[in-house]
Amino acid sequence: MSQPERSIMSSFDLKKGSVRIGYSIMLLALLVLAVTMLYPFATTIFSSFKTNQEIFMFPPSLFPQQFQWSNYAEGFKYVELFRPFMNTLILFGGNAVISLMIVSLAAFSLSQMKLPFRKGITLFFMSTLMIPSATYMIPSFLNLQSLGLIDSYWAFWLPAGASAFNIMLLRSFFDGINKELFEAGRMDGASELRCFYRLAIPMSIPVFSTLLIFAFTSTWNDWYWPSLVLTSPEKYPLASVVYRNIIQSFNLTWNVKFSVLTVIMLPPLLFFLFFQKNIMHGLNLSGVKG
Amino acid sequence: MSTQTARVKGRQPVHPLIKKSKDYLWGVLFILPAIIVFCLFLWTPIAKGVVYSFMHVDFINGSNYVGLKNYREVIANSDMGMTIWNTIYYMFLCVLLGFWVPSIVAIAISELRRFQGVMRLIVYLPHIVPAVVLYGMWQWLYDPLGPVNQIASWFGDHQLMWLTDKSIAMISIVIAETWQAFGGATLIYLAGIVGIPKDLYEAAEIDGAGVLQRIRHITIPGIRHLYVLMFILQLISTSQGFMTHMALTGGGPNNATLTYMYQIINEAFTNLNYGRASAMGVLMFLVLTSLSTVLYYFQGRSKKV
Repeated sequence: MSQPERSIMSSFDLKKGSVRIGYSIMLLALLVLAVTMLYPFATTIFSSFKTNQEIFMFPPSLFPQQFQWSNYAEGFKYVELFRPFMNTLILFGGNAVISLMIVSLAAFSLSQMKLPFRKGITLFFMSTLMIPSATYMIPSFLNLQSLGLIDSYWAFWLPAGASAFNIMLLRSFFDGINKELFEAGRMDGASELRCFYRLAIPMSIPVFSTLLIFAFTSTWNDWYWPSLVLTSPEKYPLASVVYRNIIQSFNLTWNVKFSVLTVIMLPPLLFFLFFQKNIMHGLNLSGVKG
Repeated sequence: MSTQTARVKGRQPVHPLIKKSKDYLWGVLFILPAIIVFCLFLWTPIAKGVVYSFMHVDFINGSNYVGLKNYREVIANSDMGMTIWNTIYYMFLCVLLGFWVPSIVAIAISELRRFQGVMRLIVYLPHIVPAVVLYGMWQWLYDPLGPVNQIASWFGDHQLMWLTDKSIAMISIVIAETWQAFGGATLIYLAGIVGIPKDLYEAAEIDGAGVLQRIRHITIPGIRHLYVLMFILQLISTSQGFMTHMALTGGGPNNATLTYMYQIINEAFTNLNYGRASAMGVLMFLVLTSLSTVLYYFQGRSKKV
């Protein structure tokens, strides 16, 4: 491993003056890019400790002169975050259990079991991917209304199972498992259900964790649809609450605003840093699928 | 022992139809929940959208069939042209400002000898943070007294009203969205670039091709299929954009950032005219589907050539 794998340039290229100049310009550009990517985060976090006068100070400074923790106390007083946080967790938990169950059963059936009209069913699922979701957003809302699911968390848990993308992702993973394994299980008298939860599920933990991460980020991020479907604000998840009370508020001072934004920004950041490997792996999976 | 009993059972003569349905029983049972959910929450709304577009939807007095009235109203509406124009302008800006960025950044990152992982992470960071936080950030960055104007004032005392000036409000939105979204596309391009065989570069270098020539003749053709794919995906997703507009400008100033999708939302939840909103959705569906069909067709052809 003394020689690193080459990319577009070889180490020989770097000895040339013109290439060197170009390469350093590129490095500089990437550095600028990194700064512009990180600056908004930094200014949000540091501004949450400033006084409101300091935020508008000229010339602008990044670091606060002294840490004013009272912004956070004020932020928590202004908007209650604990209950929305629990609501978000309930939403995520239901999504994870119910929708993943529906999706994985279907994927297993499509991939490893005897099934009539397999092609037709696949088409039935896949063709929904071709229809842009925004075009049926309004009828979808009316549909939930006529099903009596408005203001209920079931309106999120059940439709989350109708995800052709997740079915296909899991299916392609199950396809990769050797069929003989399940044949052997069946020969030994294991029922299909047992084959599924004793063999298929444990083997696909990595894919499941990817799907869980996707589910987490989408529940944590989605603010518009919950604020439409849930009519009572005390059922709102975090993102909707913050949109309604923080983003749309005009009388809240910026430093307090930033303190709340920092609080709801940190969990997904930590989550990401913690599960970074799985997430990148999942992105590659979905990227290959296109 | 259980193996033996299974074999014995297999030999017993069973009616073929019963045997077949028994074979299928579990497979069907497993897939049934998904089929029900797809029917209830995807296909029903899709079908209902078409039905509603021909109806006057009224929850109190009952809905009634009105024929093409909704469509006629939508087309005759004076705002229609404006929202379509805004949407096209928005899509155009997204391509102009955003489409080429990820591939170039991906090529640059793939050339990094060190810190490649860190750079990937940094670029992807805005994806992880909830959209509402980003709205808050950009409200502040674009504030007339905010950092962007402060930094701009070092170069001249010209202040820009990023979100309230009619001519640049849409550009501000596109910049914010590009900043947020290009990381995901970058990672996809990176995966493509990593997949290009390294001996191609080796051979080109021996033949005397410079670095830029190698990028032009090996790297870019190597990820051409991704360019087409990402272009289609971007067109489809940007044509539906409305959330950032809603959060940052509320469709203003003077309707300069009112997109077609935003207008559908307004039609449904402000004017409570669900029939007309459904008709607009159906029209959008027709345009988008034909657009993606045409683009996929071209993609198929370019692959053959």
